Amino acid sequence: MKHTEQEIKNLKNYHIEMWNLVESQVTKAFDALKNYDTQKAREIIARERVVNAQELVVDHHLENFIALFAPVAIDLRFVLSLLKINNNLERIGDFAESIALFVLYKQNAPIDHKLYEKLRLDEMMDTAKKMLSTARIALIEEDSKLAASVFALDSNVDEINKDAVQVLADYIVENNAKSVEMLGLHAVIRRIERVGDRVSNIAEDIVFFVDAKELRHQTKNK
Amino acid sequence: MSIIKASDVDFYYGDFHALKGISMEMERNSVTAFIGPSGCGKSTFLRLINRMNDLIDGTRLTGSIEVEGRNIYDKKIDVDTLRAEVGMVFQKPNPFAKSIFDNIAYGLRVNGVKDKAFIEQRVEESLRGAALWDEVKDKLKKSAFELSGGQQQRLCIARALAVQPKIILMDEPASALDPLSTAKIEDLIFTLKSDYTIVIVTHNMQQAARVSDKTAFFYLGELIEYDDTKKMFLSPQVEATQNYITGRFG
Amino acid sequence: MKRKTLIQNIAFGIFRLMALSVVAILVWIIGFLVVKGAGALSWEFITESPTDGMTKGGIFPAIVGTLCLVVGSMVFAFPIGVMSGIYINEYAANNWVVKFIRVMTNNLSSIPSIVFGLFGMALFVNTLGFGDSILAGSLTLGLLVLPIVIRTTEEALKTIPDTYRQGSYALGASKLTTIRKVILPMAMPNITTGLILAVGRVSGETAPILFTCAAYFLPKLPTSIFDQVMALPYHLYVLATSGTDIEAARPVAYGTALVLILIVLIVNLLAGVLRGYFNKKLR
Repeated sequence: MKHTEQEIKNLKNYHIEMWNLVESQVTKAFDALKNYDTQKAREIIARERVVNAQELVVDHHLENFIALFAPVAIDLRFVLSLLKINNNLERIGDFAESIALFVLYKQNAPIDHKLYEKLRLDEMMDTAKKMLSTARIALIEEDSKLAASVFALDSNVDEINKDAVQVLADYIVENNAKSVEMLGLHAVIRRIERVGDRVSNIAEDIVFFVDAKELRHQTKNK
Repeated sequence: MSIIKASDVDFYYGDFHALKGISMEMERNSVTAFIGPSGCGKSTFLRLINRMNDLIDGTRLTGSIEVEGRNIYDKKIDVDTLRAEVGMVFQKPNPFAKSIFDNIAYGLRVNGVKDKAFIEQRVEESLRGAALWDEVKDKLKKSAFELSGGQQQRLCIARALAVQPKIILMDEPASALDPLSTAKIEDLIFTLKSDYTIVIVTHNMQQAARVSDKTAFFYLGELIEYDDTKKMFLSPQVEATQNYITGRFG
Repeated sequence: MKRKTLIQNIAFGIFRLMALSVVAILVWIIGFLVVKGAGALSWEFITESPTDGMTKGGIFPAIVGTLCLVVGSMVFAFPIGVMSGIYINEYAANNWVVKFIRVMTNNLSSIPSIVFGLFGMALFVNTLGFGDSILAGSLTLGLLVLPIVIRTTEEALKTIPDTYRQGSYALGASKLTTIRKVILPMAMPNITTGLILAVGRVSGETAPILFTCAAYFLPKLPTSIFDQVMALPYHLYVLATSGTDIEAARPVAYGTALVLILIVLIVNLLAGVLRGYFNKKLR
């Protein structure tokens, strides 16, 4: 194997570690929200620092690679994409932390079961998780088609997010006392939707890296 | 309109088929870089543009190369006149065993210029054009061999500029120079672009990326890919190009 | 390791000995000549004609004769040799014609000088009717050294990288201009070396002038190129073998040999200066 290729393989490994960390954070945050698990929420907050540290490690390796290897073509696209994906992953980690904080500071016990169903939170979180794992596999396999399949999932998440506003509004009308909590819950749903957005960005970067096609700021085929 | 236009150029050294069906056009006031592994035909193609390959016995060319719309392989073309219009800078600095002044004046004199004042003026202009004037203006009578390698190469560029060519061909002009001199040559190429059309052969991928507007990748005598340099170095369309510029060749 | 070093030392020791012995022989020869001949040297010796059956007097006519032959042969061989060299290296395609010319040139240089002498006599002296003269002698000597001049010119041109020729062509210069203005000036120092070798050879040759120009005894200076002259090497030969009184002429012979060697050395020195001058002009 050529030196450059070995180097790129190493970069990919550091980066996949970041993926594993962030995905586990997101999975835990969703579980904590679903089961009102404060123990898990605390774990997430404790591990957030590890995620931030890993982001710096990956960035550092990418910077070194650019400085020493002056990559071009596919190698250049690879490092550029990784820099951006890395940043997006860190933000997704932040969203997981926000959700954990909501679980911890929520005044009342678990979310009303009926409301939970009506908000289609399970579906939303499962879709977001699936987006994350799909994007990761797409990156590892360098499969731009697989990466592009994330966009369809994201529109599903967006739709649930949009519907949630009305559901929450209706709920507040009926349960005035819970309005503050509902505003918090709305923020959480927004976070989940943001996870979807970030994964979509990541998918665009993967397509750019693999196919050299620019997808940002273009109307996607949905 | 393109200033250089090659159509279906095939070139042979004896039985060796050195260039296969090359067709490409180069824009006026642009820098085109030829890249590719050794023996890929890039230098051969460069030397077809000023008919330097005429000097080699047993070569044969089919197809046509047009400079400003005239086929330079037409029988009516005077090769010496063509070479005054299509200048060339070589891999190793090759100043003549003459003074700095006479090196620059040489091209004018062999083309029949006798007017002393005009020659002096052109010498200064050319040296300025090659960013060398300030370094040598006080020692024009000194031998060109007293200059450093980088200065000698800029002298050779100035020498080419003196006869006011339209095109300047550069065959790995910085490969024998240190990084600082290389940077100066690259800056110079960038400046010269506004007045000349430049075609440069280089083994240095980063140099091609830095100085050129368009890049052509040659391999085994074929033109594999020819596109905007930005595109070639970010997202080449042919796998062979990508493998070559990322160093994964072979 | 030790063994290896020992072998090395022995080998290089032998090489050094061989190299030094060459120098020693040269020093010996010159020393011998100086010891035997210095006594004969005087201002009169180099400015006066031989007297008393060549056992007394000077060798002035022989010196002048040799100089005439050197100049004459160079006037003939230098332009022809240099032009041939230029043709072979710069113009001719590298085909069988050039190979043939090269082989023939080499053959020419391996012909014994006495054969040149005979040829010169047949062609210049008799057929062309120049008689025994400076002209006939110069032409014969010129023929003799022509291969040297051609070869050195060719070699001198060969050492100049093609990139200089291309540099000139790339500016629109023609081939002739390129050779005249760029290549020849650069090749001049090495071509001069060829000239030195040729001069050395000409001034020392006896056989080619034996039948074409050399006079046994001629105490007057030549007035035209159709005159016979005395020449140092031939004079030396005469003094050593066929004088009226060989024993009495011995000191004169050694003196003549010393003068001959000195002239060759001076010519070499001059050419060295010339070479240095050309080189300086290039740097």
